[in-house]
Amino acid sequence: MKKNLLLRWAGTLLILFALSPVFAQNKTISGTIKDNQDGTSIAGASVLVKGTTIGGKTDGNGNFSISAPQSAETLVVSFIGYTNQEIAIAGRSTISVAMAPSNTALKEIQVVAIGYGTARKRDLVSSVATITAKDFNKGLITAPDQLLQGKVAGLEITQNSAAPGSASTIVIRGNGSLRSGDAPLYVIDGVPLDGRSATPGLNISGGGYGSAAEVNPLLYINPNDIAQIDVLKDASATAIYGSRGANGVIVITTKRAASGTGTHLEFGTNFSSNVGYMKKYKVFDAAGYRSALNTYGIANQKNPLDDGGSSDALKSITQNTLSQDYHLALTGGNEDGRFRASFLGSQNKGFIRNTSLAKFIGTFGGQYKFLDKKLSIDFNLIAGHVTNNYALIGNRAGAAGDLISYALNWNPTSNIYAKDGSYNLLSHSIPNPVAVTDAFHDQSNVENYLGNISAAYKILPNLEYKFLYSINHSTGLRNTSVDGFLPLQGTLNVGLAAIGTAILTSATYQNTLNYKAKITTGLNLDVVGGYEYYKTNYSSTNITSNGFGTNLTQQNRTPILYTSIFQSAANISALNSFADPSVEIQSYFARANFNYLDKYYVVATVRDDGSSKFGSNNKYGIFPSVGVKWVLKNENILKDNTTVSELALRASWGITGSQSFPAGVSQAQFALNAGGGGQQIDIPNPNLKWEKTTQYNLGVDFGFLSNRISGKIDLYNKNTTDLLFANVPIVPSPNVIRYTNAPVNLINKGIELSMGGAVIQTPDLNWEVDINVAYNKNILKNYPDALIPTGGIDGQGVSGTFAQAIANNQPADVYYLKQFQGYDATGHQIIASQPSFQGDPNPHVIAGLSTTLTYKKFSLSVNGSGQFGYLIYNNTSNTITNISNIANGKNVSSYILGTPESITDGAVGSSRYLESGNYFKLRNATITYTIGNIGNYLKNLRVFASGTNLFVLTKFRGFDPEVNIDKSNGSGYPSRNIEYTPYPTPRMLNFGFTAGF
Amino acid sequence: MKKYTYLKATAVVFCVSGIFACTKLDQKLNSSFTASQYAGALGTSTLLHAAYVDVGAPYTDLAGVFALEEVTTDEALIPTRAGDWDDNGKWRALHQQTYTADAVDVILSQFTNLNTLSFDATNVLAFNPTPGQAAEARFLRALSLYQQLDLFGQYAYRSAGEDLLKPSKVYTGEPAVQLIISELTSILPNLPMVNTVSIASQDAAKVLLMKTYLNHGAFVNRMSPTFADADMQQVITLGNSLMTSGRYTYMKNYFDNFSPTNSNSTENIFAYPNTSGTKAENSGVTNRWYPTLHYNSFGAKAPASGWNGFSTVADFYNSFSLTGKTTMSIADSTVDPRMGERFYKGVTDVSGMKPGLLVGQQYDQNGVALLDRKGNPLAFDPNIAANLKETGNNLEVTGIRVLKYGPDFSGLDHANYNGFAGNWVVIFRYPDVVLMVAEAKIRSTAADMGGALMLVNSLRSARGASPMTMLPLSNPSNVSDPNTLLAERSRELYWESVRRTDLIRFGMFMTPWAYKPASDAHYMLFPLPSSAIAANPALKQNPGY
Repeated sequence: MKKNLLLRWAGTLLILFALSPVFAQNKTISGTIKDNQDGTSIAGASVLVKGTTIGGKTDGNGNFSISAPQSAETLVVSFIGYTNQEIAIAGRSTISVAMAPSNTALKEIQVVAIGYGTARKRDLVSSVATITAKDFNKGLITAPDQLLQGKVAGLEITQNSAAPGSASTIVIRGNGSLRSGDAPLYVIDGVPLDGRSATPGLNISGGGYGSAAEVNPLLYINPNDIAQIDVLKDASATAIYGSRGANGVIVITTKRAASGTGTHLEFGTNFSSNVGYMKKYKVFDAAGYRSALNTYGIANQKNPLDDGGSSDALKSITQNTLSQDYHLALTGGNEDGRFRASFLGSQNKGFIRNTSLAKFIGTFGGQYKFLDKKLSIDFNLIAGHVTNNYALIGNRAGAAGDLISYALNWNPTSNIYAKDGSYNLLSHSIPNPVAVTDAFHDQSNVENYLGNISAAYKILPNLEYKFLYSINHSTGLRNTSVDGFLPLQGTLNVGLAAIGTAILTSATYQNTLNYKAKITTGLNLDVVGGYEYYKTNYSSTNITSNGFGTNLTQQNRTPILYTSIFQSAANISALNSFADPSVEIQSYFARANFNYLDKYYVVATVRDDGSSKFGSNNKYGIFPSVGVKWVLKNENILKDNTTVSELALRASWGITGSQSFPAGVSQAQFALNAGGGGQQIDIPNPNLKWEKTTQYNLGVDFGFLSNRISGKIDLYNKNTTDLLFANVPIVPSPNVIRYTNAPVNLINKGIELSMGGAVIQTPDLNWEVDINVAYNKNILKNYPDALIPTGGIDGQGVSGTFAQAIANNQPADVYYLKQFQGYDATGHQIIASQPSFQGDPNPHVIAGLSTTLTYKKFSLSVNGSGQFGYLIYNNTSNTITNISNIANGKNVSSYILGTPESITDGAVGSSRYLESGNYFKLRNATITYTIGNIGNYLKNLRVFASGTNLFVLTKFRGFDPEVNIDKSNGSGYPSRNIEYTPYPTPRMLNFGFTAGF
Repeated sequence: MKKYTYLKATAVVFCVSGIFACTKLDQKLNSSFTASQYAGALGTSTLLHAAYVDVGAPYTDLAGVFALEEVTTDEALIPTRAGDWDDNGKWRALHQQTYTADAVDVILSQFTNLNTLSFDATNVLAFNPTPGQAAEARFLRALSLYQQLDLFGQYAYRSAGEDLLKPSKVYTGEPAVQLIISELTSILPNLPMVNTVSIASQDAAKVLLMKTYLNHGAFVNRMSPTFADADMQQVITLGNSLMTSGRYTYMKNYFDNFSPTNSNSTENIFAYPNTSGTKAENSGVTNRWYPTLHYNSFGAKAPASGWNGFSTVADFYNSFSLTGKTTMSIADSTVDPRMGERFYKGVTDVSGMKPGLLVGQQYDQNGVALLDRKGNPLAFDPNIAANLKETGNNLEVTGIRVLKYGPDFSGLDHANYNGFAGNWVVIFRYPDVVLMVAEAKIRSTAADMGGALMLVNSLRSARGASPMTMLPLSNPSNVSDPNTLLAERSRELYWESVRRTDLIRFGMFMTPWAYKPASDAHYMLFPLPSSAIAANPALKQNPGY
């Protein structure tokens, strides 16, 4: 090695000697070097004449000035973390270079948000996954969680429904809860969010239509504004969030302007269109249905089942309308301050007719420095308006059905329209699904304001005090109007209108003190301590009415919605109003980071968390953690090894908590009912406390060949005890859940690998591949009580049937079903008389793959992900498209034709409907062409075209194996991976451009 | 640790110096009240009111206490009709008596409903009630305890104000019976003498006492009930005081007791009040007719409205004639009018349906014969598949249907059909008093057969049925023998949730009947939900489960 270097030096000297006469005619070249992503100047970059050692480095402002031989034609600009660039200098004296970060190396210098502070990525002791804007998922993104899907090892993101703007189920490192509605804590620019949405719920759930899918609470965050998302996974990272950290923490950092870079305008647009089902649920078409009627000998009934027409209801309820999205951002600043303003306007048409999501979001934020830069003020304001139009698609529709069940069941020999062009309203008791998309109007409008301001003052050069105040206020209005001509249960001939409102307000107040010190040579200390106060309030109202005089027939339809003439209804219900108990959290926290010679790191955190939710006997809880890291690479033995560019071992331990149970249950509550009654509505438990998760984590960070290949492996063991548990009451008592801290162990063990590298790395051609794989095993131990049935099956003929259970020595929500044992001689199912354990609904392996191929100005990025080792319960197949429905003139699953099943067989919940959920989905493929600058004004123009949900590989028979219909049974027990008449997933094409001015 | 203390001290300084003072984290409830706020602001009457409302849930829906007391007997069954009514096999399990600990969700839901009633009634006592309020609350609790003892052979009991996290006390057998008797006896003087039938009156307490005394022997030993003479005399004395009160007379038309205007019935002693078209506190009495009617029962007026489930069998139908045979078309014949099939104003003229037992061809209000969904005549067929799984072409029409409560058609037909009907749910009715007295007379040490027969025939005469000539309690070899007191109770009180109790008391519950073979003794008690036992180990699972 040394020899080599000597030779090089010798060679250089020789050349210098040979060329020495030329030195007399040098020329001066100056310029600036910046990051091409955010425009920040790069200090210390090296600028050399190609093939020589002549040159220099940039100063603190990214400026350089070098003296080069007249003959020099090319400069080579390099800096760690960026791709080398060669610049032609013939005839130029000033140049400006925008450097592109190199993907593999970028990770090294990244700053990671770790809660109440940041850390350089290489100083990170905890298990944190960081995804920056350039790695975000592409395509039509409506909420920030979609940016991450499939990108982070051990982060399972399941979009509950393909309806635009619907919520996701997010699980970090396995199912750590036995309650429904648990989600990670979201922190945006240091502000922890409530996690709820002010979108009022659908108010016609009583009619057998089931509750509507939840709406994503992060819709008002403009995905284009996000610079980086950090997923805190192990306890040494999350314990700083104490009693809210147990389900993991997702920290979102929004974009900031770079200081001193002048004013920039960035503009982009995205058009997209649905292009049919990603995967269509297979029911009979008209010809197949006719032949099935013959097969089953029911073609000649008195009430004919063949209506003589032809229709494709599943297709008729969809739309391929163009969606549009425009976003622009304005940034600017000087030495003392900078600002960024952005705007997003999007109109996203859903795949189902008349569903849509429209968003208008404006943000304004800035950082200004005063008092010789000792005081800095940082503020950010988001104002968002979201309009959502929904379809009649319910989570738990019973015999009354919902739009998807109507479309699946609609007789394919029945025409959608009568000869006169009106709807053929009812066929074999199934309402016309297209008419339902047309005359079911359900719209929510939500306004959201999130404002935060912080002031940081450097008391001493190494001591900083920071104060932050944030308020998040959100109001929602939902108007539902169901025309009376629709043959729906409870609304036919009378119509129905419902109006609901909701208000959600939360405020955060933080004080932190940060102290950085060099204790002795090589030993650095970074301490942060603080106080946080958080409060949240939620209230809602709703009112319903029926008995309208208009729109009772198709002929007398008017475009006026019932919600606009509410007072004309014959029956108007009383107004219901409800305000949740307030939740207040008060916390003290501290974190100390020790770094010795960049070799040995120790981080310790502690948080003392008090919550008004907890019982009077247990208001406060202490959550400690400690993590250590040993950077082997910086030991002498590896220091100069060129193969191993990074190697570090990490270990951590910590305790985090969860307090996600309804506020108020620690004390006795009494409610007043309509009609004059009133009663105790809870079982008070003054001993209630936080749920405790103890987590161990062992990790290795590695990188080879200048981090051309790098990645990390993490092993973890999470043990959740004092589980906040929805226990059955000890009767006599109010008929509600008895919340207790169950002394059980819910254990998640797993291993995660994420790895990335450049397969090809040449100036013109780059190919990078990133993969992540995680294995998790979930088991409930020491649960002493009777098995609790969860995951209720819905539809006609199966009431009282549950698919899942909470049981000892089984994974959470394990399938507990009667076993299907084939068919008897008459074609009837043989079903075991008693249920038994039938497998796991929790995926054991989740994996993601992204790859980017860049050739000159073209780049192709593809990403896909999958889940493996779990079962899905196909409730749709069980109760909507089961064989017996064909005898009633309804459409059924076409696969049934190949089974020996008789058409008089019953609809029984059993293991028959468990299907392997294994899938791999090509989520997105995007081709980008960087045109670059056009003229003097248009800069960095890029155009792209992409396809989303291009295909899915799965044996699952439903629309989409990635679905999680909420089947929690009303008692707070969750369900997992039960599929039931979901909003179907479309395949989408997008195209658009981004440009700067 | 020292470091931590130091940091915390620093943090406290922040907290104090900040805009917000440190909070004590006291919870504000906002929409609900703390116990002290509630006691001060609203008083006891609202709690008592809520306890009354609790009565609706177990006693209204056919999938409530009804399912446990009737579907397990020879009066009711629900065959599985291809894709409909499998419902985890629970309806077949109930009728065939093969229920197990957790497979029938009705058992859990009624256990819960009855205990909610028990709790809400008990909670009244913790809020300084007047003696009258306390008596009403204790009546409601006694009703719950009686029903639980009947279904499960045990009940959990709490005093007012107990810690709900601690196990409750459990009563079984003799002490369980005695507690109900002593409760009812001690509250009797404080209850209103005469009142609206929706309120616990002395008469209602007397009926509950009569039921407790009459079933005392069966509650203590279901295998071989004995009937203490003292208990029988109590039944007779209490019954006589009601019969001589002059407050109760038989209605001219039997079905007026269940009509949308049945709040006027002179037979009702205790009932749950519903108001037509009113949602608040409506117990959903539409579920008395939804579950039994066919999809097309209402014809074009309300397509696909019925649920086509709950049925009864030919043996029960035939027991209305003392010869044990009825025809299938008896309109306006001399056979017992309680079986229905007569024109009933407000129902037949609106929908074509004739309340009572629906068998054979059904018609709409214009006399047009209705069809089922396949296009076959909508003609209810008494013959049901042997295994209760219908697979034939007639699977929609098997089973005789029972329309005891005449649907409320006032106002908008369709809206009310799907909405809120005004029929009151009958819980105690005068004829039961009369029949209990008759039974007690027969069961007395000095049996008064003549007195019993006279009472029964006076009832039959009021109903328009021919008199009986003899009155054995039951026929041990034929549960459907029409010439028995057991059959007369069935003809009068069918689908009123007393049949299972009767069959156990008459020693007939294990005998075979239509679509049920002879069954094991342990089915005379329902299994407790295993989750309830896990929560309170004082509850003991009944033998055999």
